[in-house]
Amino acid sequence: METDRYNAIIVGAGPAGSAAAIRLAQNDLSVALIERGERPGTKTMFGGSIYVEPTSRVIPEFWKDAPLERPLVTDEFWLLDRDSAVKVGFTGLKYKRSPYNKFSALRSKFDPWFAQQAVNEGAHLMTSTLVTDLVYEKTGLLSKKVAGVKLDSGEVIHADVVLLAEGASANLTEKAGLRGEIEKSSMFLYAKEELALPAEKIEARFNLEPDEGTNVGMIGYPTSGVAGKGGLWTNKESISLIVGGYLNQIIKKGVNPYQMISRFKAHPLVSRLIKGAETVAYKSRIIPKGGYESLPQLYDDGILVAGDAAVMISGRRGTDLAMLTGLYAADIIAQARAAEDHTSRILKGYEKKVMNSFFMKNIKKGKGGHKYQKEHPDTDYLLTKAANDAAYKFFKVGSKSSSEKMKKIRKEILDMQPVKKTVKDLYYALQDWSVF
Amino acid sequence: MPNFLKNNQSPLEYVTIKVDDQSHINIKDQKKCLNQCENKPCTYYCPTRVFSWDEQSNKIRVDYSRCIECLACPFGCPLNNIDWNFPRGSYGVIYQPNGQ
Repeated sequence: METDRYNAIIVGAGPAGSAAAIRLAQNDLSVALIERGERPGTKTMFGGSIYVEPTSRVIPEFWKDAPLERPLVTDEFWLLDRDSAVKVGFTGLKYKRSPYNKFSALRSKFDPWFAQQAVNEGAHLMTSTLVTDLVYEKTGLLSKKVAGVKLDSGEVIHADVVLLAEGASANLTEKAGLRGEIEKSSMFLYAKEELALPAEKIEARFNLEPDEGTNVGMIGYPTSGVAGKGGLWTNKESISLIVGGYLNQIIKKGVNPYQMISRFKAHPLVSRLIKGAETVAYKSRIIPKGGYESLPQLYDDGILVAGDAAVMISGRRGTDLAMLTGLYAADIIAQARAAEDHTSRILKGYEKKVMNSFFMKNIKKGKGGHKYQKEHPDTDYLLTKAANDAAYKFFKVGSKSSSEKMKKIRKEILDMQPVKKTVKDLYYALQDWSVF
Repeated sequence: MPNFLKNNQSPLEYVTIKVDDQSHINIKDQKKCLNQCENKPCTYYCPTRVFSWDEQSNKIRVDYSRCIECLACPFGCPLNNIDWNFPRGSYGVIYQPNGQ
């Protein structure tokens, strides 16, 4: 017989929800982990990388068991123009050995495994189940507390506390009054294709050994004039290709995400990497890019919010921040259980923990960056153009003296826009892409 | 339904969707689309083209069976006129572990 009352209900079996469920079940709390898909990972996507350090905090040495693709040894950043690219990169072979750094992965494989770890610890995973509403109980004349959830079957299940890890759209978070309306200038829309290619071809094209992978981030050409990003990851036997940008700019420029990715695939420096590869999946997803200004309230009586629903995004980090906020939430829930108090009095400790975390410092720091790109949507385009034009001249073998050549390059960059802006553009572009 | 690319390729070939018999997407007020919305951006920013303009009825046609739940449409609509809900449990897009 299933009990219909839990210590905690978690909405969403993604990285945040499953991480929290694992930790809570380890602490012997009864947990319901509710997922609307028929299996975790069937409704979502990322680029993507799984970062080792944060994930190890949930499951030490997870790489021994988890369905991962390749340990990433190479990280490149391309400023991609029409028929050229300025490339910055690093290859570190230490990253192919324990303790590694990051792995390429596919969420449709990783998420089911991650949720299964919660089940192994004793959590109750309910799939094909949509949570439609929160259920409250009165705690005083005017006060109330979240006491459970209502399912699409009409059934109600109760818990001391509900953790919302429902992803970017965050309907329940909004219903709970924790989040106001989000503007479309704070949303990124990504499209992705997964392209099947034999391992030997991937290794030959990217100069890799069988146990090595590469990740390339790109700006400029891929986004069709929208401020955004392109990216490429090598998996075991496929390549993940993503492109995306600010939703308001996609709308303004009149582009379609599928056309964006088709155009990206046709780029001469990209098409040679995916030549002969067969598209096996097309996916799309929004991600809140809002940063510090659009953080919701993270708690209320009987309720907490984690992951994308809580806008825990910093640069290209999201999956790991979801796991970490899931862990923090689990710790506070365990504490609330010990104190037998599931009101804000204890739960506010979660917000404190999140606000004092290393990544919140990054999110705060990124505040300016986000605003900068909002105000200067042409940043990526101008930067890419300037860098590629200059590089074409720099590497050109001709009859000019090198000082003449540099003078000419300098002049052309200055003609395009003030140099101070170019430096700023570069600074924010790198900051937006960087791991920290 | 308009095509995405000149060669008629459609991304829906690479997606598995379990279609419910009821729509999870509705236009709140069709008159707003007709009278107040100039560009009808939902007809192009949706990554699987769920929305199209029907010249005959002067309405936005919603083909919810194409939806892959990217969640963009309610945020992108300039008039906040799209009522998007999650499909019922197990229905909707099913991303497979090995593509498709």
